[in-house]
Amino acid sequence: MNRRDFFSWGTAGMVALGSGVAVSLGAVVRFLVPSVFYEPPQTFKIGNPADFPFGPPTFLADEKIFVFRDREKGFAVASAVCTHLGCTVGYFQSDQRFHCPCHGSVFAANGAVQHGPAPKALNWFEVTMTRDGQLRVDKDKVVPSNYRLMV
Amino acid sequence: MNLIREIWQSIVRRDPLSTDKGKSELVFLNVWLHIHPAKVKKENLRFRYTFYLGFITFFLFMILVTTGIALMCYYRPFPPQAYQDMKDLQFVVFMGPFLRSMHRWAAHAMVVCVFLHMCRVFYSGSYKKPRQFNWVIGVLLLLLTLGLSFTGYLLPWDQLAYWAITVGTNIGSYAPLVGGQVRELLLGGHTVGEAALIRFYVLHVAVLPSLMILLTVVHFWRIRKDGGLSRPTWRLKPSRPEALVTIGAPPETAPLKTVPASKDKTYGLMEVVTGKPIFETITPEEEEDAVFSYPYAFFREAIALMVTVTGIMAISLFFHAPLEALANPAKTPNPAKAPWYFLGLQELVSHSALLGGVVAPALMVLALLAIPYFDRNPSRRPSDRKWAIWLFTIFVVVNLVLIVIGTFFRGPGWAFVPPWVHVVAGAE
Repeated sequence: MNRRDFFSWGTAGMVALGSGVAVSLGAVVRFLVPSVFYEPPQTFKIGNPADFPFGPPTFLADEKIFVFRDREKGFAVASAVCTHLGCTVGYFQSDQRFHCPCHGSVFAANGAVQHGPAPKALNWFEVTMTRDGQLRVDKDKVVPSNYRLMV
Repeated sequence: MNLIREIWQSIVRRDPLSTDKGKSELVFLNVWLHIHPAKVKKENLRFRYTFYLGFITFFLFMILVTTGIALMCYYRPFPPQAYQDMKDLQFVVFMGPFLRSMHRWAAHAMVVCVFLHMCRVFYSGSYKKPRQFNWVIGVLLLLLTLGLSFTGYLLPWDQLAYWAITVGTNIGSYAPLVGGQVRELLLGGHTVGEAALIRFYVLHVAVLPSLMILLTVVHFWRIRKDGGLSRPTWRLKPSRPEALVTIGAPPETAPLKTVPASKDKTYGLMEVVTGKPIFETITPEEEEDAVFSYPYAFFREAIALMVTVTGIMAISLFFHAPLEALANPAKTPNPAKAPWYFLGLQELVSHSALLGGVVAPALMVLALLAIPYFDRNPSRRPSDRKWAIWLFTIFVVVNLVLIVIGTFFRGPGWAFVPPWVHVVAGAE
């Protein structure tokens, strides 16, 4: 083997080794990303429209959502997850606003930030009617705060 | 009797400790002790110079490893069993509350001692040449300590655990570009759930402790290789320059004199290489200020070990580690507070998640890492480094003030409430 061959093969070898290491590292990262999430589904039924009263919103703890029902406007679903750091906000009927207990963010009834460190408004989720007459919420579909479902 | 003596001799293989040779060999020939030098400087043994904080931190880590392994025997890292196991440790397991409290208080104490150790090293100027890199290792060890505290917090799966980790991982997601992915990788999902618990468990009991041990070994090794602990050199009596025993380091101008190697002499590495040694040179006078590690250093270490262990045990006898209600994703406690050493961070985050939660801490860590390379002033004498001392003191005070505000001055809804005002949280 002459000098030129030595360096050609050497370079090829180093490139092969480098790509091998890169692929392995990629595989390690991919290994850490779960292929299956054992988490609650993002789309779920929440029950019949009649289950929800008019007036103050109903808080569904497991889904972390508020279900608003208005006599004229209909149904709307707001996220209870603070946009700041993910704490669960509470709705206070006294001042008709959302308050976050962690860092004091305050959201208006339409979800807009009024006070505190939250960077953006609370999310509103799409709510639709299924064929069997139940309400269905899709957390993957964020809608404007004036979105309403008339029943 | 001779056989017993022979067996003992085969184990220790050293001269009696009454001789100087025996005292040196005790250190040289013992794998556990040879991280020490055979002789140490008297000033380095003074309590008021180091406060033995490095040793105390290491001993706290040993307590944490021991109690941690014991606790692992009764802990299953998936919800809700994790919380039930906590209850078992509290009420059923023999010495369970004691062990858990020891683990908790030793962890808190370690955060304190690592921080104080860093302050000591800064104020004594010990990060300066040739010890710059060991300061960097030290900062990494501080981060690992905080990482271990953070991952350990989720394991009880109580309200504090759940919300501290929810807030903490959401802070991470504000990091530019990779934030969201890092959070998902850390949690193994989109929310804090069973996948997150097992991942934090693996980090807490395997990944981070391994890194900690690895870097601790490097940290200790570098102390020796950097010439031992730093000393307040300006307080020592001046030495005659011609008495320097810097072998192999001729004056910069003089040509290197080569000496033929003698057959009846063995040479250490320092005798055949040229160039100045990286560590501090020692004069014969200073050599007189050194004492044998046995018994002077070992005795003090043993005292520090006993005080640390008995201190943590005593605290654990009287104060038990708290445990809140089972984690409830639907109900955030008000106020939801992180462990106290993260309350300064939480206070910053309450003003801005990106600036306070990502930018400010990142800058702080970078500044800490850069200190030994940025501070070009070679003097370790406090009167020569007023600026550095002022800046670092401001850094320490700001951190402490933030932690005090977060701990004592924040009430429900993170409103500013002085500790002497009693507030009844509003109905939810």
